[in-house]
Amino acid sequence: MSETLRQSLDLSLFWEYRYTVLAGLAQNIYVFLASAALALTLALFVGLSRVSRHRALRILSTGYAELFRNTPEFVLLIWVYYVLPILISKLLAAKFSLSPFLAAVLALGVAYSGFLSETVRAGIQSIPRGHVEAGLSLGMSRFTILRRIVIPQAIRRMLPEALSQFVSLFKATSIVSLVAVPDIMYQVSMINVDQMRPLPLYTGAALLFCLVIIAATQSINILSDRWRKRGWA
Amino acid sequence: MIAPTLSPASTGGPILRCSNVRKSFGANEVLRGISFEIPAGSVLTIIGASGSGKSTLLRCLNHLEQPTSGEVYLDGEPMGVRIKPNGTRVPDKAANIARKRAQIGMVFQQFNLWPHMTALQNVTEALIQVKGLDRAKAADLGRNTLAKVNLLEKADDYPARLSGGQQQRVAIARALAMAPKVMLFDEATSSLDPELTGEVLEVMRQLAQEGMTMVVVTHEMGFAREVSDRVIFLHEGQIDQDGTPEEVFVKPTSERCRRFLSSALS
Repeated sequence: MSETLRQSLDLSLFWEYRYTVLAGLAQNIYVFLASAALALTLALFVGLSRVSRHRALRILSTGYAELFRNTPEFVLLIWVYYVLPILISKLLAAKFSLSPFLAAVLALGVAYSGFLSETVRAGIQSIPRGHVEAGLSLGMSRFTILRRIVIPQAIRRMLPEALSQFVSLFKATSIVSLVAVPDIMYQVSMINVDQMRPLPLYTGAALLFCLVIIAATQSINILSDRWRKRGWA
Repeated sequence: MIAPTLSPASTGGPILRCSNVRKSFGANEVLRGISFEIPAGSVLTIIGASGSGKSTLLRCLNHLEQPTSGEVYLDGEPMGVRIKPNGTRVPDKAANIARKRAQIGMVFQQFNLWPHMTALQNVTEALIQVKGLDRAKAADLGRNTLAKVNLLEKADDYPARLSGGQQQRVAIARALAMAPKVMLFDEATSSLDPELTGEVLEVMRQLAQEGMTMVVVTHEMGFAREVSDRVIFLHEGQIDQDGTPEEVFVKPTSERCRRFLSSALS
């Protein structure tokens, strides 16, 4: 037992392959950044539609959010990578395929846009009606009020919740190796095939994920503390 | 010196005219046919018990609430409706309503300052976004207007760092910077502690003295009596008493108005 423990804590092998693992981490970060941008953009549209004055938009956007919030990322990733290209190929009557990277970004982006749209909706609804009326009374258009008054405030109010969504999204990037994106897990699996020492390799991968997330969370906490001190978060 | 921009005297007519305005929320009729005119440079005060329709009336004047029937005219032009050549009335475009709203300043009970902007940014935002001023010009005008409400030293502070009275003065400066033809005050001092109401009333008094056309909803009876040219007492959505401060406060003919005043002043 103690030998197993010693092996799992001996990270020298992990250190030996550090450049390969870091290349994997870079892939996780790329997938994360691209899918976070996609999720945020979609969530903004879906979140705004959920508070729209048009009933049809509200129904459609609620359906979208519910569908993607309740589908596991794993299933969505497999569906986007294997099923979606078949459907599109049939529709276009031409061969169509998605690269692993694109499939991962699309699946994670869409999945997290469902969660984030709920955060956006709550953020927008938390802005007092009076702030909008002040803008209207000064002759501002609804679009200007949205752009200058509502969204900047909503983003600050959404930050803590959005941060935890982004942490989950970063963790979720660990499944992209399933469609052969060469991320940390993929690289570690490849090294393991060669070395047959899963304990230190997977322990190292877990610690690396942890380290990146803690560093990112702490930096964002410092940033939002600064905002809070200025009185507008 | 606060220099308001008054309506062009060329029109000669009232700046604001309210014609048989009615407003219902579902089955509840809050305003039941209100008509009055406000000449340039005059101060109209609306008093009445809570729920009498004072705030709704004020909000109908700048179309934050759309009247169920009746019309509001700003400088002779109808608010919220467009009259076609054949005489039919159709709802006006949002851009036209916004253009007219920009000529009516409004000060709210809850200040409604934008917390993510400094005092100066609160004042300059509409100058930049609505009037199209460049940032430097807007900042100059913003600082001048803040100086007029004695808050130049707070220009770079966020609303959270200001007292209630200071926040309300920034809100007045924000409306005033747009050089409105008329200013609406919706219980501007009601959410302030008694020691802070004075500084806001002082700014309003100064504006009135300098000829700003004002419609004031207030519970400050002393202020209403001192500053108003005309006072309207609303009861259940109708004008119950209407006259000079002397007529309304000293010898009201309406029994309801008399009772309201005696309870408000006691």
